[in-house]
Formats: sequence, structure tokens, C-alpha cells
Amino acid sequence: MANPLHGIDPARFEVVKNALISAAEEMKIVLAKTAYSPLLKVAGDYSCGIFSARGEMVAQGPDLPIHLGSMPDAVRTIAETFPDAAEGDVFIHNDPYRGGSHLPDVNVVMPAFHQGRLLGFGCVRAHWPDVGSATPGSYGAVTEIYGEGLRLPPVRLYRGGQPIPDVEAIILANVRTPAERLGDLRAQVAANRRAAERMAGLAAKYGAAELLRIMDAVLDYSEAMMRGALRGLPDGDAVFEDIFDGDGIIEDGDTADRTFRVRIALSKCGDTITADFAGSDPAVAGPMNAPLSVTASGVYCALKMVVDPRSHIPPNSGCWRAVRVTAPPGCVANAQEPSPVVYANHEMSHRIADMTFAAMAQLAPDRVMCGSQGTSAVTTFGGVDYRTGERFVSYESTKGGYGARPMKDGINAVSSTVSNMLNTPIEVLEMSFPLRVEEYSVVPDSGGAGTFRGGCGVRRAWRILDRDLRASTCFERTVTPPFGLAGGLPGGRARLSMTLPDGTRRAVPGKGAYTAPAGAVVTIEAPGSGGYGPPAARDPAALRADLADGYVSPEAAARDYGMTDRD
Amino acid sequence: MAWRIGVDIGGTFTDVALVEEGSGRIAIAKVLTTPEDFGAGVLAGLRQGLDEHGIAAAEVTLLSHATTVVTNALLEGKGAPAGFIATRGFRDVLELRRSARADLYDLFQDGPAVLIPRRHRFEITGRIDAQGQEVTPLAEEEMPALVAAIRAAGLRTLAVSLLFSFLNDAQERRLGALLREALPGVQVFLSCEVLPEIREYERASTTAVCATVGPLLEGYLARLQAATGALGLPRLHVMGSSGGVLDVAECLRMPAAAVESGPAAGVVAAALVGRQLGIGNILSFDMGGTTAKASVIADGEVAVTADYEVGGGTNSRRWIAGTGHPIRVPVVDLAEVSAGGGSIAWIDPGGALKVGPHSAGALPGPAAYGRGGTQPTVTDANVVLGYLDALLDGRLLIDRAAAASAIREHVAAPLGLPVQEAAARIVEVVNANMCDALRIVSVQRGHDPREFALMAFGGAGPVHAAALAEELAVPEVIVPPAPGAFSALGLVATDLRRDFARTLYASLEGVDPARIAAVLAGMEAEGTAMLAAAGVPPERRALLRGADCRYRRQAYELTVAMEDGPVTAATLATLAEGFHARHELTYGHANRREAVQLVNLRLTALGRQAPLALVQPMRPEAARQGRREVWFPGGARPCPVLWREGLAPGAAIPGPVVIEALESTTVVPPGWTARVAAQGFLRLARS
Repeated sequence: MANPLHGIDPARFEVVKNALISAAEEMKIVLAKTAYSPLLKVAGDYSCGIFSARGEMVAQGPDLPIHLGSMPDAVRTIAETFPDAAEGDVFIHNDPYRGGSHLPDVNVVMPAFHQGRLLGFGCVRAHWPDVGSATPGSYGAVTEIYGEGLRLPPVRLYRGGQPIPDVEAIILANVRTPAERLGDLRAQVAANRRAAERMAGLAAKYGAAELLRIMDAVLDYSEAMMRGALRGLPDGDAVFEDIFDGDGIIEDGDTADRTFRVRIALSKCGDTITADFAGSDPAVAGPMNAPLSVTASGVYCALKMVVDPRSHIPPNSGCWRAVRVTAPPGCVANAQEPSPVVYANHEMSHRIADMTFAAMAQLAPDRVMCGSQGTSAVTTFGGVDYRTGERFVSYESTKGGYGARPMKDGINAVSSTVSNMLNTPIEVLEMSFPLRVEEYSVVPDSGGAGTFRGGCGVRRAWRILDRDLRASTCFERTVTPPFGLAGGLPGGRARLSMTLPDGTRRAVPGKGAYTAPAGAVVTIEAPGSGGYGPPAARDPAALRADLADGYVSPEAAARDYGMTDRD
Repeated sequence: MAWRIGVDIGGTFTDVALVEEGSGRIAIAKVLTTPEDFGAGVLAGLRQGLDEHGIAAAEVTLLSHATTVVTNALLEGKGAPAGFIATRGFRDVLELRRSARADLYDLFQDGPAVLIPRRHRFEITGRIDAQGQEVTPLAEEEMPALVAAIRAAGLRTLAVSLLFSFLNDAQERRLGALLREALPGVQVFLSCEVLPEIREYERASTTAVCATVGPLLEGYLARLQAATGALGLPRLHVMGSSGGVLDVAECLRMPAAAVESGPAAGVVAAALVGRQLGIGNILSFDMGGTTAKASVIADGEVAVTADYEVGGGTNSRRWIAGTGHPIRVPVVDLAEVSAGGGSIAWIDPGGALKVGPHSAGALPGPAAYGRGGTQPTVTDANVVLGYLDALLDGRLLIDRAAAASAIREHVAAPLGLPVQEAAARIVEVVNANMCDALRIVSVQRGHDPREFALMAFGGAGPVHAAALAEELAVPEVIVPPAPGAFSALGLVATDLRRDFARTLYASLEGVDPARIAAVLAGMEAEGTAMLAAAGVPPERRALLRGADCRYRRQAYELTVAMEDGPVTAATLATLAEGFHARHELTYGHANRREAVQLVNLRLTALGRQAPLALVQPMRPEAARQGRREVWFPGGARPCPVLWREGLAPGAAIPGPVVIEALESTTVVPPGWTARVAAQGFLRLARS
């Protein structure tokens, strides 16, 4: 592929490519500013993209890498199911077995036309805080996808620019907070409308044929740059295995959640790379089974950062043509119907991204990152707000450490790899829900010791006010810690507990639902991240600064860094 | 005779604009900026301006100043070591931010800068809940240890931000009083005084920015006020980010309000020129050496935003928490892109032509300046295309061959294009980048560019303006007087302004209008007192009400103007309808069956300046006409070159034509006509 631009004027190419990216960014603004649920409007759990008529992602907004792998599949399903798509149509679906990721992630897709010609699609994938099921927030530990909530196959939601009332009615009857859902749905449609307008505007200006030619070239361009960068890395094979916490189901005769094992084998040759998951454990009973596209998202995200560490290549479907992800059907990394999947979406992809770095460390040790938080640390509360009598569902993701890198410390308390959600401001949370946050702080000594220290994890504690609530959690890294590399030590594990009003403390499951009584305080610690290089080689000034700031305690400085009183 | 003076400190030059009241006559002085002590350059510029034009200090009625001190201190990490005091359990709020990273895929990115290090962050027991009720009293017995720790750290300035102080400020004010008493000489900034608004991180960040730059700003303004006072000039005013000037005392109470001082002045100048020409809708476009800034003026009002970050990597992606420090004060809504005369063109590994973000800066500068630059810049492309020739009326000579050779080596040869074609492509790409900035403030905010005029200034703005207007379908381009010192010019016409805000959560349907009236009355009393203290006579005072509203379950508000007079149910109904209309305009739909939620009440206190009409000095005797080859789409052609000062008012000059002036060049492409307006403005429209 000598000239990925196929003779298109390089200036026009750049202009149209950027216009498509701007359109995806605009979609994001419209969604954030008009959505109703805190998860979308303040925490940003959604992705927006512009897709070709074949369903390839041409431009992504500054959204969540977790959706890289599966959003194109979701749009392709729509394109294939509705060859009769017409102007004013809007489609919806959330089926993980048709290109979705998990049921709470709802895809709203809208075709764009110019003079009757299909140009492509806009797609907004947004995480709804509730899609039904037995647990508020739809994060219960169930054993079949049928128990995970409302499952929507690809269906038409709007015709001729107007909502189809029958479909909307089915959706709203199956979720806990229908008024909020309707607001979110309108916001998703508004964002898509913006995408369709922008694409139509570009077609009017440059001609539909030229726009489509450039959209194809944008994909080829990313592919060519990705392959070029891959050629610059050494060829070779690498294997990495890691232990996962469990699936949230305690099997008969067990007293704790059983761990399982995932294995990745990377093979890099010339301008292609393969990631295979053969040798991973078979499907688990609970919702930790990853559809292959979710597994792929974890691989893609880490490879993008390794292959293109300064982030020059526009992330789109073209990037992944050089990457092949395979896993035996029915293993935990390639879920088959009717396995439940809700946790896997972010937990498996987080952990698999970290594993991809660990494997790549054997091939390209100068451009990897140590084990990060490896979890979305999801905490949900649901029930009735004593102040209003209204039902509510609160969904939060607490961010921990971002792994250390060769020549650089990790970052404290920031999202890593597949995720980039925001926290919910405490004052917004408390005004919205009957909770009081008692602490939100950096956890000392949770950043793995190393020449370059891992980023620290984060503690957050909520007091339950006035009435008992139903709570659920979805964490990884409560059992095995985030790994260090090149002699660096692992970071701090996740920890969860609940203090009851009488002062007794009890453990909270890493995955699953439980009752949080009024007056109790639920405390979680999102994991830290691993350190890089031997701790003894850390710059003494950096260690002294860590001590002064309390990121490292004097005990840990002595134990992990061998710091003596003379230092 | 009475004169008003504006002083704007830029990266290279400090501009002084002097405007005579009544006649509107403009005089400009330019001196080199003195980064080691900005005040020295200001004084030199003032002296030069007064001397050259024979103006006595006693004739000066207004002295306004745009300062970069605040921005620079934050960018360079030169603020004062500050302490931060939070509710127990929350001292890390400043570091935890919003937990998103700035770049999704940049493996080696740095974490966002932390304004106040953890060792200088403290906590005190006490808690207000989401209803504004005290849950835990302030633990005054913890004060001795807290005070001792602050003393031991040697901190001279403090930011205090307690949870829910925007609903109930009793604990925060009590803590502030105890700190001020125990630590005389230490500056204490309280979040309830700086920004009584919801969202703990943004409020804490704004307060921390104030504490960090406060001492520096105080020293700087005190020295400058003493020096200008010694020259016999009137009391100093400082340009605020929201597009109004502040009294020095006001500025020191709220240092974060002086962040985008200079750029705000440029937008205010654009609004002034618009008023003078009777044009309410303006896209303001300011193109300098390294960046281009766009802003919007709709119906004569400068657009301001409350979501702004200072410092850090980029401000252009404001919807995601980035790397800078958020300040929630009103800031002129600017979109900034890395596109200026010095931006470097390059071919990326995929074969696409890029321009920027790297800039050749002032040194080595564009290849054409002959100061050692070898990389092709936008200025070089403009030279090769014939748009630019000698600059500063021949004082800065242009090396055409060097420009051509830089473009040939780095762009034309790799792409297999003739040099002039390559230069045209460079301009096309940089224009597209600048269009992005203009689109952010127009289309993305729901404004149709076809209903706006483009006001172009900054050294390079008028070169590119017509091409941008063509791209965005803007019907008219206005080139104002002194485009190269336009921000300084804006300072002379700026109203005294202070913005107040109070959070009041209520549904517009259910709220007792008396509650709203009471909050507004409180702010109006404060605003009136501020205007009186600044010596603004009553007939020049204005108090403008506004309300931040949203649908109940949304997270972001839109600010809607609110009518004067008694607050009644009818007032609130009008406000609700104003919100629905604004929502529909901005996002394409409104949910009229839903109740509208009030979040913040706002009040802008204005001390209006007497109206001013600017006049570009014209000298018919300066008329001259040249001719050179200039490239326009389709190829190079011979093109007349005129000198702006010598143009006859009322003249209509058909394009293609290049109009040169001392510090900026205007390009009029084929199909466009430049008209010389009565006051010397250039107005370009499609023929």
C-alpha cells in the first residue's frame, strides 16, 4: 500500500478527515449536554462515532477505547439487518451476541443520506444505568443472559423522523427509571442527528462519491500507518498468563468465588500481529464471559498505545486490519449464547489490555506500561430516595492507578487503558441520591515500588442515609495485584468492606449484589498499579518527595526501597 | 482634549492604543515586551505614546490594561506556594480531579499538573449536607495544629474550599475568620467568596488558582499603579476574562478573573466596531504567530463560557477534563487552534499534509525572515503565493527564495507538486484548521455563519479572512483599524464589569418568586456598592440579570437573560420559555412539557463607558499603487497592490487586489470587492 490516499489531494484528505473527527466530537458534546442520567451527563460513559455504510468506524470522538472493537460490529449488524434503511430512520440494539458489548450499553444508530444515497451511519453507544433485571443497575451475578435485563435485537426506533411508540413503550416498561431513560434516548438521537447533518453537509460540498472515497481512504491511511509502525518492531512470539478474581458465583461446596485463568499468545511478524487466547479457561457460570469483540477491544487498545505510543494514528477500523484476535469458541474470552456477560465488558477488557502490555514487554520492553488498576471498580446503589419517594439507581466507577512506564512514573487516580470515564462530583451525587460521601482520597503505598513508581489507587466511602438500599459491586484485582515489570513491585490490590451502624465491619463481595442497611458505610479501594524497574534504583529526590506527600509511607520506604535513616 | 489609553502585553510587542474621545482618532505606540518586568515595557510604551502624540497625562480619562501575569505564572509554575484546606476526607479533591486522562492513547503522557502539592493540603472536621444542613460542627479545637502546620510549611497564601459551602457558608466563613486572625499577613481565599457554585473540584480549583496567583498579581499591580500614578495617569483598570475591566481591588479579590485578559480585549474591540457599523452578529478572528482564536458576538453580546481551563496542554477540547486547571469564572468563549503565521508545514508518515502544531515562533521564524529558519511556515506559503511582500512598510524585508526553497524541500518535492501548488495546499490546510475554531464557536453553538460578518485582526488575520469566509459561507469580512494592535484598542472601550453568581436550586414552576427576588437583591446591592466604590456615576450603571437553567435531570445549564423589575410568576414563565427556545436553538430539540430547573442566578454589574466611534486615520497623500504576481485558485495572475492609508473613503475596489498597511496585509480574492467605509474600515463582500 504505497499510497493509501489513492491519489486524493493530500490537503483535501486532511480537511475532510478532520471534519469527520469534528463531527464525532460534536456528537459527544450534544450527548453530554442533553442527557439525563449522571452516568452519561457527568461521568461520560458513552462513545460516538461516524461509520461507513459497511459499518467500519471511520472516526471516533474522544471517547472510550473499550468500544473500539465492538462498535463496528454493532453498526454492521444494523446495516445488514436493515438494507431498507431510509432517511429519518433510527435503529436501536444492545445484544452482545450481535455486536453489542453488554446489555446496559445501548447502541442508537442513524443512517446519513445525500440525495437518497446512503453515506454511512452515526452511532452513539451509551451505558444506561439500568436495563431491568432483578438488580437495580443490572449488575447482578446471574448465570444466563436472560437474567441480565432487557435484550433488544436490532429494531427500528424512529421512522420518518418520528419515534415509533410501540417500541418505546416496550423499552420504558422494562427499565427502573423510565423518565430518565427517555431523556437519554432523546439525547442519543439528537447526537446522531448531528452526525447525519455533518455527513450530508460534506457530501453536498464535495459530492457523495468523493466523500465516500475519502472515508475509505481514511481507513486505508490508518492501516498503512499502523502497518508501517508494526514493521518497526522486532518480530517474535510472547505468552502471558494471569489469574482473574472470579465470576461472582460461589459454586456449591465453595466458600469463596473461584479464580480462573486467561492466557494470551502474541505473534508479531512483519506488519501483522496475532493475539490468540487458546489455553484460557472455559466459560464461567457468572457474567465474566467476554464476547470476542470485547476481548478484541482490550487487545486493540493496548496495541495502539504500544505501536503508536505518541498517538499519531487516527483510531478507526483501519488500524485493526493488521491485528487478528482469535479465541476458541466457548472459552471465557469468546462467549457463546446464553452465557451471561455484563461484568466482562469492562473487567475482561481491562485485564486483557494489561495482559497485552505484559506480553509485549517481551518484544518491545521500552514502550509498555505496568499493570494498571485492571478494573472499572463499579459500585451501584438502588432503592427509593427518602427525600422524594422516587426510585433511583446510582452507578459509579472509581479510578485507580495508571501503570508506571519505562522512564516515567505511573499516574495517580486516573482512568487507564480501555476506560476514560469521569467520576461523579460528590456534591452532584449527594444532591441526586440519598448517599453521603465520607472520604475520597489517594491510597498511600498502593503505587507499586520501582525505579518508576506505579500510580496510586483511590479510596471512596459512602454512608447510606435513612433507608436500606440494594447495592452491587463489580471489581477485579481483589485477589492478584497489578503486576510490576523489569524488577518493579506490584501495586496495591482492590479492597471492599462495609461498616454497619453498630461498628462491626464485614467484607463486601468483589462481584455481586448485597443489601446495604441505613447508616452503614461502604468503603472501596480501587487498585493502584505496578512499578517499573528495581526500587533501589529510584531517584532519591523523587522518593523523598513521595514521602513528603505521603504517597509512600516511611515503613514502605524502608521495606520496598531499602531507605535507611541516613537517606 | 480627553484621551483613553489601552495597554496590551503580547509575546513580542507591548501595544499602546490612544483614542481621542469625541473625534475617535486613533494613535498607536509599539514597544518591545519586557518579560523580566512587564511593567517596564508598559511604562516605556505609555511614555512613547504620550510624547509622540503630545498628550499630557492630565488629558487621560481612562487607563486600561490587559495582563498576562496570571496566565504566565500558571503556565510557568511561578505562582506562590499555596496551602489548601478541605473538609476532612477530601484534601485530595484537587488531585483526583474528574479522573479522566487527557489523551486516550498516548502511552507516555504526563498526569495533569497538580496546583498545590499533597504536603500542602490540609483537612478539618465539619460537614454540611446536600440540603445545606450542618451534620458535623466545625472542629475549632483542631485549629492550633492546623495553624502550626501552615506556619511550619511557610505558606503565605491559602485556598479554603469546604463541601457544600455554596449552600451554607457558615463553617467556611468561620474557618476563614479564624485563619485570618491566627495568620496575619497570609492571604486567605474562600470558595464561597470566589465562586459559590456546585461541583467541589471546579470550585476548589478556581479558589486554588486565586490563591496561587494572588500574591504575585498584588505585587505587580501595586507597582504598576504606583508608577502610572507617578506619571499623573488616572487609576488603573485591569481587563477581566469576561470582557469587562475591573477595578484593581476587585481584581485582587478574584485573581482568576484576569486570565484571558488580552484575547478578551480583542473580542470586545470587535464588538465595538460592530456596534459602530450597526452589525450585531460577528465572528471575531484573531490570527497571530502561533495560534488563531475565534469567538462569537451574537446580537452585539460577547459570548462567555463558564467552562474554562488555564494552563495545561490544550484548551480546545473543553468538554473533557484536560490537563489544565479549571476556573469557573466567566471567560470570553474563545476557541483556539495552533495555527499562525509561524506554524510549520510537514508531511506525516501516511502521506498527509499537516500544518502545525509546531511553530517557528519569533526565532528562528519563517524562512522568509532570513533569521535562520529553514522549515516552511504559513508565512512562507503566503510569500510564495504573493500575498505578503515587505512587512512593516519595508522595515522587515522578505527573502522569497528562502521561502520557496523551504517549501520545495519539505513539501513540494515529497508530494511531487510545483512549489506554488504546494504553498497553496499549505494555506488550504491551515485555513481548514482555523475554520475548525470558527465552527466551534458558531455552528457548534447553534449559530449559522451565513448570518455573521467575520472580523479579522492580528498580524495575519486579514490575509486569510476572505478564504475563511468563502469556506464558511460568511457573506462579509471586516478589517478594522489597527488590526495589529486591536486588543489594545478594545481596552479603551471596555465597560467596568463584575459578575456575581449564587446557586439556587429550584423548579421554575414551584419556586416562590420572592426567594429569587431576595437572592437577586443581595447581588444587586453588592454590584451597586462595587460600582459606587469604583466611582461610576449612577447614569452609567447597569445591572443585568441572568439564570442558568436546565431540564431537571440534565447536568449542564444554559444561561438565559432575565428581565428587570419585580420577580413574578410571569417573569419565571418568560424565563422558562427563553430556556426552551435556547435549548432548541443549541441542540435541535426542546422538551416543553418538562419543568425547567433553575441552578444559578447571575448578575452582571456594568459601569458603561461613554460611546466611542473609532476612526482610522487616512492620508490621501499616501496613496500608492504597485503590481505583482499573486496566486488565486486557478493560478497566478498579475494583481494590483494598494496602500491602505491612501484609499479614498467610499471607494469600491474589485478583487483580486492586495491592500498593504504598516502591520497587516489584506487579501481580496477574485469575486470579492473591498469597500472603504467612512471611518476607514475595510468591508469585503462577494461582488
